[in-house]
Amino acid sequence: MTPDSTPRSDLDPWDQALFEALEGGDSLATLEQLAESVDVSLPLLEALVRGGLLIPKATEPDRFDSAETDALAAGLQLVDAGLPLAELMNLARDMDDAMRPIAARAVDVFATFVRDSVEATAESDIDAAARLVEAFRTMLPATSRLVGHHFRGLLLAEARARMTTER
Amino acid sequence: MTHIHASAIESPSDLLSDRPDLVWMSPRTSVFGWGEALRVGAGFGPGRFERAERAFSDWCALAEMQDDGVDAGPVAFSSFTFDDRSAGSVLLVPQYTVVRRDDRWQSISVDGATRESVASHSESVSTADRPRYAGASIPDVQWLESVAAAIDIIEEGGVEKVVLARDYALWSKTPFDPIRLLRRLEARFPDCFVFRVDGLVGASPELLVRRTGREVASQTLAGSAARSEDPIEDERLGKELLGSDKDLREHASAAASVGRVLGEICERLEREAEPSLLQLANVQHLATRFEGRLTHAMSALAVADRLHPTAAVGGTPTGTAIDLIRRLEHMDRGRYAGPVGWMDAEGDGEFAIALRCAELSGARARLFAGAGIVDGSLPEAELEETRIKLLAMQSAFD
Repeated sequence: MTPDSTPRSDLDPWDQALFEALEGGDSLATLEQLAESVDVSLPLLEALVRGGLLIPKATEPDRFDSAETDALAAGLQLVDAGLPLAELMNLARDMDDAMRPIAARAVDVFATFVRDSVEATAESDIDAAARLVEAFRTMLPATSRLVGHHFRGLLLAEARARMTTER
Repeated sequence: MTHIHASAIESPSDLLSDRPDLVWMSPRTSVFGWGEALRVGAGFGPGRFERAERAFSDWCALAEMQDDGVDAGPVAFSSFTFDDRSAGSVLLVPQYTVVRRDDRWQSISVDGATRESVASHSESVSTADRPRYAGASIPDVQWLESVAAAIDIIEEGGVEKVVLARDYALWSKTPFDPIRLLRRLEARFPDCFVFRVDGLVGASPELLVRRTGREVASQTLAGSAARSEDPIEDERLGKELLGSDKDLREHASAAASVGRVLGEICERLEREAEPSLLQLANVQHLATRFEGRLTHAMSALAVADRLHPTAAVGGTPTGTAIDLIRRLEHMDRGRYAGPVGWMDAEGDGEFAIALRCAELSGARARLFAGAGIVDGSLPEAELEETRIKLLAMQSAFD
């Protein structure tokens, strides 16, 4: 399940700025628009939402970041290449389960070593907000690349190992 | 004239090692057959069960029986397609049969056939290769969309329940060995009806009908949940199933259809008041057991004809559900979800619903699984349920 993402009303200014950055992309789409743009049926997208594999914006629960189209297109490529949807969804659920605690730890690490540090050393609220948002915008894509790269390495190593043992 | 010789025999050891062509194994009765003394293509349409039964009884009537004082006669195996428009319904009488009823063993030989003389024509077995995935009749995405369409129709009141199935194919570099598959199914599902009839191999948990004289029994299964290796989690899943409104409604619909039919043909009928939990190796089901006494003499096959298709594999109401299946499933189920079993010349016998099964054809196999769709069903949950059911059968190939 996706945790409640409604921000507290008493956020510090720098955390409020960070929250707005978390919400990110200003190009939002409805589920119907997303279905049309990726040429996929609405029942499939509804199933992905219910499964927590397609996550709406925290502040607008019926809207989706249009960047989701990239992830959806990638999933469809896997299906088109021959991976049964049931297996893909099962893998996605397992990956979701495996990565949630790691994501929580990564956020802890960010909060402890980046946010707290910025808060301690910033010259003003505005400075803290700017530095925090900048750090976030640098770290999010870097983290994504790092995780993607590592998983790719694991996949290739596993595939190589399988090819030496399987008939 | 055909000569049939029945005699009592000592309990034989491991009949599967003699590679029977026809197999039925259940806790109560086992039947093993070699060779073919009679093959009846039951054809199409609503008269197929009756045609098969008539052909068997005509053949028995023309045969000369010698029974050495043993109360036994010829036994026919049969397997019917789910849809009477599909080809493949068949009735077979082996040349040589071994039957176990409770602890009594008997052999039935047609025209002097022995197990050895007929078994010599069995298939050759090559070294097993691993099973390899070979696609499905329809893509999962399309099946999920069919389930969503069925849910829309249910919500509009067009139908109460419909069961949608999907399949997938396996291939191997060497022919699949049906005996190896039977052994694995028997080991994994010892309480199920394990069968091999004309290429259809499986282990079904669902008793469509057992007839012994005028007594009949049936067990409806509908509503399923996964099992867990963790006993606490397993118990939680079972309790959740027993309390699941969606599964209880699905089950009630299936049990009502069996109760209605048996009520029409039984002078006495008893049924469990509440569904119980039937726990199998990979899955747990809601189950309701029926026991009754037939008002008039009817064979096990005739009762199976009246019961099929139950709401557990078709839907409610039956006619509308069958039309929806034809429209939404986009594949021919063949004998999956059809009656499979055996019957003797007196009309006693057992028929299961052919679930958890595969159609074997040399180095290719087609596996099936279905899920009952009712108001409140979620397409992705039904897709996952069928994935788990398919995995159960696939694991017997590994």
